[in-house]
Amino acid sequence: MPLLINRVVTEDSWLLVDEDNLSTHLNEDIVVPYELFAAEQEQLLSAEGGLGIRINGDQDLNLVLQNLDKLSLVTIEFPAFTDGRGFSFARILRRSGYSGQIRAEGDVTRDRLEYMERCGFDAFAIPADRFDETMVNAFGEVSVHYQGCADDERPIFRQ
Amino acid sequence: MYQYNEQDQNLINARVEQYRDQTRRFLAGEIPDEEFRALRLMNGLYIQRHAPMLRIAVPYGLMNSVQIRKLADITRKFDKNYAHFTTRTNIQLNWPKLEQVPDILAELAEVQMHSIQTSGNCLRNTTTDHFAGIIPDEVEDPRPWCEIIRQWTTLHPEFAYLPRKFKIAVAGSTEDRAATQVHDIGLHLVQNDAGETGFEVLVGGGLGRTPVIGKVIRSFLPKHDLLTYLEAILRVYNLNGRRDNKYKARIKILVNALGTEEFTRLVETEWDIIRATETRLTDEHIARIKGFFEPQPYAADAVDGLAVLENQLADNQEFSAWYERNTRDHKVAGYRAVVVSLKPHLKAPGDITDVQLDAVADLADKYNFGEIRSTHDQNLVLAHVAAGDLYQLWQSLRDQNLARPNIGTLTDMIVCPGFDFCSLANAHTLTVSEQINQKFDDLDYLHDIGDIKLNISGCINACAHHHVAHIGILGVDKNGEDFYQITLGGSSREDASLGKIIGRAVPQADVANTIEKVLQVYIDNRTDDERFIETVRRIGVAPFKERVYAPVN
Ligand code: SF4
Repeated sequence: MPLLINRVVTEDSWLLVDEDNLSTHLNEDIVVPYELFAAEQEQLLSAEGGLGIRINGDQDLNLVLQNLDKLSLVTIEFPAFTDGRGFSFARILRRSGYSGQIRAEGDVTRDRLEYMERCGFDAFAIPADRFDETMVNAFGEVSVHYQGCADDERPIFRQ
Repeated sequence: MYQYNEQDQNLINARVEQYRDQTRRFLAGEIPDEEFRALRLMNGLYIQRHAPMLRIAVPYGLMNSVQIRKLADITRKFDKNYAHFTTRTNIQLNWPKLEQVPDILAELAEVQMHSIQTSGNCLRNTTTDHFAGIIPDEVEDPRPWCEIIRQWTTLHPEFAYLPRKFKIAVAGSTEDRAATQVHDIGLHLVQNDAGETGFEVLVGGGLGRTPVIGKVIRSFLPKHDLLTYLEAILRVYNLNGRRDNKYKARIKILVNALGTEEFTRLVETEWDIIRATETRLTDEHIARIKGFFEPQPYAADAVDGLAVLENQLADNQEFSAWYERNTRDHKVAGYRAVVVSLKPHLKAPGDITDVQLDAVADLADKYNFGEIRSTHDQNLVLAHVAAGDLYQLWQSLRDQNLARPNIGTLTDMIVCPGFDFCSLANAHTLTVSEQINQKFDDLDYLHDIGDIKLNISGCINACAHHHVAHIGILGVDKNGEDFYQITLGGSSREDASLGKIIGRAVPQADVANTIEKVLQVYIDNRTDDERFIETVRRIGVAPFKERVYAPVN
């Protein structure tokens, strides 16, 4: 799956683990699904490698917020492109001071990239069949912003 | 009115090009149908029964003559020489071609218009009182606040994929002509004890299959906090609104499920976190926007026209009937507001031809400082006409079939397009409005019945707001035949209420006769000056029900 980080196609250096292989990879840079994170919090937080969590709109963002300083990656899933909860998740993460990677995954395609980036996403895992190089043009298609957002908190009247 | 600066213009130009590219990629097969559907809806383009329909935004119902002429031109170039005004004070074109929409948008952008967020599950056009700025007892002109909200809602990156559509209305006086209590958010400009202006905030009103009156969640919101508070409400809704069932996705369902208290607590908690952020309004910004809504340059000698007017009214009964029904007070002496009726005999309510549009633009330039407003009940308003000009204006409007003296009467109906155009419809609506028009053409009768609100929706989506009409008519399908359910006693005004169903639906052929029976009960029961709605409230629906469903012998 092609991955854009800061608008550039990048190799993924993170490994998604599950219950079965967690112990093997515990001290690597791993992304842990929400439930597994909730269950294995203690050992995860004391492990050596980088730690990421994968969460979707049905799950409780508070678990992420409570562990922000331990996390270097938050992957937010979009089960459907119409599910707008992830936009608010990213916004809340950024305003809580989180500066690690926020990655959008799932039904993530060109025409939402610009809004996602404004809300605080800096990484996008795009389904291969929907990826093409010109996608990066989506960023900045509309450069005037009336509202403040995670990219620039100033609304137009303070810019 | 608000004038775009370079940034505003850049934004809509960029949006046109963005949509042009989206259309191109869709036609090239690069965007799946369902995804393009969301994109085109967010840009006002529906696929209707016969053809696409493009909904053009008219922010808070305010336009100038240049824009109206452009619309006339667009209907000639791209459509069938007419347009339709909606209850969100927007404009619909019923016959544009999907491939041509980017060109239409480019033309609109030339006159500072667009179709951004006129549809789809996003923040929609904010509406307000069509008499804003000219009412004597107004707390404040609501339109600067609508413009502030317009900018905030336009292309909001966080709230573009809400659970469902989201509508905001603002009222500036105690008279509510914007149906604020049946909006997702209703804002009432109010003053606190210290004399400061702010907002009473209502949430969770709405129509559709679950009609609800909005609940007050804050009785006074300081004006600088308007946008942070809206942001808090929208974030709570975006995160918690249901996404599994589109009929349960509106904010009203969330407010009901959580209870008003808990919902309010969530909003206030979120607001506490963000109220001091950069989104908080500044005095400069408020002042700048207000600067666009200064009073018109009224003529001091307009009062001189009053004497002439008096004679004209005495001499011409037709003119005076129009004056009585279709004009109203203006806070400046010597001026009146004129309602241009888009409810002529036997034409689709809210429709207007290219020729009429051009004529209205000319009349606005001649008599009304070039301003035109669209109303929630699908009419137009020329808000500042000098007394001495009324007679000429009336003659010109009459020549264009725009002066039917029926404002506020039975034939000033709100009617959705229904089965003739809308793919969601269960029943025809235009046939029924025609039937009612035919039956109740007698002016004396209409004026005797007086103020009454009759709305017709072609399905439970309630686009014509039938629940909040004094007489509501809802089209239903019974084994392939059009039937109509009738409700009585609704109101969208400051005394908002939901109508009550009087009994089983009636077949199409019987609608007008049924209305006649209803009106007869009113006539039999009314006391001196009692309006229809007051009689219904006093005697209840039972007497109406009895008469309508009485066995025929
Ligand atoms: S009420 Fe129903 S039929 Fe009428 S316009 Fe709305 S969706 Fe269409």
